[in-house]
Order: sequence, then structure tokens, then C-alpha cells
Amino acid sequence: MQPDRTKIKLFCAAGAALLAVLAVAGLFTGKYPLTLEGMLAGDEMQLRVFWTLRASRTAVGVLGGFALGVAGFVYQTVFRNPLASPDVIGVSSGASAGAAAGILFLSGAAAVTAASFAGALAAVGLALALSALDRSGRHSTIVLAGIAVHSLAQTALMCLKLTADPERELASIEYWIMGSLNGVSGYSIGGNLALCALCVAALFLLHRQVLLLSADEGEARMLGVSVGRMRLAVLLTATLAVSCVVSLSGLISFVGLLAPHGARLLTKRSGPGTMLLGGLLGGILLTGADILARSAAAVELPVSIFTSLLGAPFLIFLIVKGRRQA
Amino acid sequence: MKMKKTLSLLLALAMALSLAACGAQPDASGSEPASQPEAVSEPAADTPEAADPTAQPDGASETSYPVTVTDQAGRQVTIESQPETLVSGYYITTSLLIALGLQDELVGIEAKADTRPIYALSAPELLELPSVGTAKEFDLEGCAALAPDLVILPLKLESAADSLAELGIPALLVNPEDQALLNEAVTLIGAATNTQARAQALLDFSAEQEQRLADTLAGAETPSVYLAGNSDFLSTAGDAMYQSDMIRMAGGVNAAAEITDTYWAEVSYEQVLAWDPDYIVLASDADYTVDDVLADPNLAGCAAVENGNVFQIPGDAEAWDSPVPGGILGAVWLSSVLHPDLCPEADSLAVIDEFYQTFYGFAYSAAAGGTDAA
Repeated sequence: MQPDRTKIKLFCAAGAALLAVLAVAGLFTGKYPLTLEGMLAGDEMQLRVFWTLRASRTAVGVLGGFALGVAGFVYQTVFRNPLASPDVIGVSSGASAGAAAGILFLSGAAAVTAASFAGALAAVGLALALSALDRSGRHSTIVLAGIAVHSLAQTALMCLKLTADPERELASIEYWIMGSLNGVSGYSIGGNLALCALCVAALFLLHRQVLLLSADEGEARMLGVSVGRMRLAVLLTATLAVSCVVSLSGLISFVGLLAPHGARLLTKRSGPGTMLLGGLLGGILLTGADILARSAAAVELPVSIFTSLLGAPFLIFLIVKGRRQA
Repeated sequence: MKMKKTLSLLLALAMALSLAACGAQPDASGSEPASQPEAVSEPAADTPEAADPTAQPDGASETSYPVTVTDQAGRQVTIESQPETLVSGYYITTSLLIALGLQDELVGIEAKADTRPIYALSAPELLELPSVGTAKEFDLEGCAALAPDLVILPLKLESAADSLAELGIPALLVNPEDQALLNEAVTLIGAATNTQARAQALLDFSAEQEQRLADTLAGAETPSVYLAGNSDFLSTAGDAMYQSDMIRMAGGVNAAAEITDTYWAEVSYEQVLAWDPDYIVLASDADYTVDDVLADPNLAGCAAVENGNVFQIPGDAEAWDSPVPGGILGAVWLSSVLHPDLCPEADSLAVIDEFYQTFYGFAYSAAAGGTDAA
């Protein structure tokens, strides 16, 4: 027991250190030429770029990735399904449909963020309401409801795309769906980041309940957990955290699925330490991917390309390594 | 300009072939190489005047039917007799057909015609015509039901064109992605519809304006221009795009010249601030406004914003930042924005008026209500 704990602590410390290094690298990677001397000398323009653009974008990468990792861990644990991710209950497709509606009918980046947030919440609300119709309380009900909502949201998205002007709106919708931290600025992220941080903190406070929910239902009930209500609360919190990130960044593939898997393969358990490590891995993945997205080419690239590109080999490495040890 | 002296079909063919040798354009669809339009009259014996390039005065070249032309997808299309009913499935070709004086022959046009102010200004009767859909959702049966003599479609609708051909309706595919390809399309459609003189006049107008701008602006300073795209302020046109030519012709340099993408590319606020353009020009169809850009806190400190040098390309008639027949007017307008001393606004407005009066039959400055050149 003891060596395992030490190992988890070591992993977490290493993860935190790597995340910190990447965050600093992120602060000094970008198209605007920032210099330490210039900023220390109080160059107004450099300071403005640093705070409103560079630091904000890095913060969204670190916290957003962390939240996606933690939320993914929660979903996988609660559903006892290694493939569960925010997509399963329709968050991502709801957010996409909301963003598309925002692009078509509203104007301004803030309105699109708000619309996609509303879309994500509406999708989750609908999925939970549908699953509540089935009183048996099976795990599969909410997944099935989520799949139904996911298809509904995809249909809505398709209808919106069909009415979109291909030159303008369709291009915006497609780019939004590809996901990017470009356009994130200090003026637009405050509310989302604060709410996201609150939700993540709440998930850590609820970590015991999350684990109980993964246990056998009868067992959980014996331990005095109101299963239905607790599951609702935990899922809503995780979903809210994801919605905050996704409505700012667009869809980011793979982080929510991969980070918790990576953490579990490293620690081989599912305690709060693993949850923390999942969050750290998510942050590392998203921050690293974003650094590449903004510096690999003369133009901005979608961040999801790099989350998948970096994440997939890592996951495969862990799986192969795990097999060998077993 | 090479094309200027084209006097006959024969010469047009020679010119087209010589152009093909030096100016092959990348084909966006990638399915077939875009080839130059060539007007081949058959049988040649019917048109003795065509054999002698000096026999006719300027602009008197006529198409003799049946004619076989090669469209911009490289397809051979034979048109049996002069088309009396036309369908256009693309706004650029619809606008071109108006400029060629063929609006009365049109029996069907693309969807969303009410979003193109130029139709209402020059040929309001077009708004009453049946729609044949869009490039996304083409109404093949609806188009066939109109039984047109000739259908003109964008390259994207290649399969629809082939289906129409099987139904016995000749369909031309055009790909006016840039000025050279647009010029090709103008020549091609002029040959197919027997409006070559007018097509040539249209090409001459653009060539003359391009030359005039080049002469006027020779040696002038070249301020940098950031062109913000239709979908989003942070999408911009790199050097390979049509819009970049517009900036160059108007005596500016594209701030995003280092970008080589052939489609709108996404950049960051940081990148725009690092380029620090002298002017910011918004695409004609952009949803956001000049005021939005001036008020964007992320752009504070950028030279263009500080100096109030943010403008939107007027869209009172059509979007001059797309390869429409009047696309040269975008450069004419922008030259007055960038170089008001060398290219006074009144001169540019006179050119724009002349263009629309000549080819579209309406008075632009009256229609635009003085909203031009913000």
C-alpha cells in the first residue's frame, strides 16, 4: 500500500512539474515578439499582449485541460465504462449545436460562447430528464438517453449547417467544431474559468462519493449514499466544468478520454490521486497541443489535431507497457 | 493586354492557347485539370470572316453554331444553336450574364437571389425566376424542367452537369476562383452565348483599370493592409488569394503575405498585432462591423485601429472581394482609401459609375446612396 501511495505522489509531482514547464513555455510561445526585457521595462504593448492574450490562452489551456481530464475521470468512474466521456451524454454535440445557432443568429464571440454553453446544458438536462423517466435506476439508461440526445443535437447541427452561408457561417461553424484556443482573450474568459475552477474543486471534494458511485449500487446504498441524487449532482458538476471549457474552445477531442486512462494505467488504481493525475495529464496534453497549434505553421491550426497526435501514441505506449508488466 | 486585340474566333483560339502555355492555374476540385476555353467554330467554312482577322472592325466577332467549347473542367460541350433560354447556378455567372446583356434569356438562377443587391439594381426581374438551388443542394429536376438551351454551373456541380448532359441539356462548368480564371470564364461564356464583343469589352475595362492603377501608383508608398475575412476577424487572405491581388493593385501590401494558404486562413490576435498593419479592410460580406473592430479591446494599440484606418469593402452592388465581373472595382475603391491624394475618391466613384452604367445599366452612386468609401 505504502509504496503505491508514494508512487502516485511521485507521478503527481512529476506531472505538476511538467505542466508548470509547459505553462511557462506557453507564455513565451506565440506570434507577437515578447521579450522579458521589454516587459520588465514596462512596454505597454508587450504587457497588454502578455496579459490579455498570452496569459489568458495559457490559463485556458492549463485549467481547461485539467478540467477535461478530471471530468473524464468522473464520467468513466461513475458509468463504470472506460469509454465514457462528456460526448456520451451529449455535452459536446449540444455545445456544437448551440455554437452553430449562435454563429447563425447572434453576433460576437461572447454570444457564441454563451449559446454553446446553453446548448451543452440543454443537452445534458434533456439526457438526465429522459433517463429519469426510467425508474429502475440502471446505468445504461442515462447512456442510452445520452446517445439519443447526441443524435438529436447532431441533427439540429446538420439543419443549422444546411441553412448556413457556405462562405461565412459554415466556415465559422466548421472551424469552431475543430476546436482552438485562438481568440481566447482576457476580456472573455473570466466567468468561464471561475465557474470551471469551482466545479473542479467541487469534484475533488466529492471524490469519495464518486468512488462510491462506481461501486455496486446495493453496496453504495448500504453506505448511506442516495445513489440517484448523488449521481445527478456529480455528473452535473462534471458537465458544467466541461461546458465552461468547450464553450470557450470548441470541441477538443481525446483529452477527456485519454487523460484519465493514462492516469489509471500509471497508478493502477482509482483514488483521488489518480483523479489529480488525470487532471494534470489533461492539462499537459492541452497546453502542449496548444503550443504546437500556434507555432507549428504560419497560421493557427486546430488544437484537436495535436491532442490526438500527442495523446494516441502515449496511450498505446502505456497499454503495451502495462501488458508487458502483467 | 494580350486579349485586347482579339478580333476573331481564330485569334481568340490562338490567344487562349498561348495563355494556356504560360498561366496554368491550380484546379480547386482536383478532379480534372482546368483547361483554357477554346472556341472552335464548326464548320469553319460557314464563317469566312472568321478566317481573316482583319476583315471585321473591333468587337464584331460572332459565334457560328453549332459550336464546341471546352469548359473549365476540360469537358467538350457542343451547343447546337444560339441559346435562347439560360440557367445559371452560380451568382458570379448570373452577374456575368447580366453584364453580357443576357438577363432576358435567363429562365432560372441560383437560390438566395434576394441576397445579391446587384440583381435588384440591374435586373429585378431575375428575383422572380425559379431557383435551381445552391452548389450544396442543386435542384437537378427543377433545372431540367425549365428545359434551358444552356446551363452554366460552378465546377463543384460537375456531377450535375454530367447528368444534365445525359438529359440532352448542354451544361458549362466554370471555375472563376481568381482573375485569370474569371477572364477565361468570361471568354468562354461570351463564345458560348455569342456575346463576344461585350465579353471583350468587359475584359478590356478590367485590364484598363489595372493598367491605370499601376501607372498612377507607380513609385507610391505601399501601406500594409490586413484583410479580415467574411466569417471572422481572425480569418485572413494569404498571398495566393484573389483578395491579395486586389490589395496589390490598389497600391498596398498584404500584411498576411507570408501565408501561402489558398483559402481563408485562421490567425491570432497576437499575429495581427505583430504585423501591425497600417490599414484593416473588412470583407464585403462580413457580419461584424468597422465599429466592432475599432472597439475590440484585443486590438488596442494596433496602428490601423489607433489611426482609425479601418474600412469595409462596400457591398452596395456586389462583393468586390470575390471574383465577380466587377471585381476590379474593389481595387479601384481601395486605391482611394490607401492613396486619397493620388486616386481621389471622386475619380474612383466615376469609374465605378461608368462600369455599372455600361454593363449593368444603373447609376451606382445614386443606388449606393453615398455610403461608398466610408
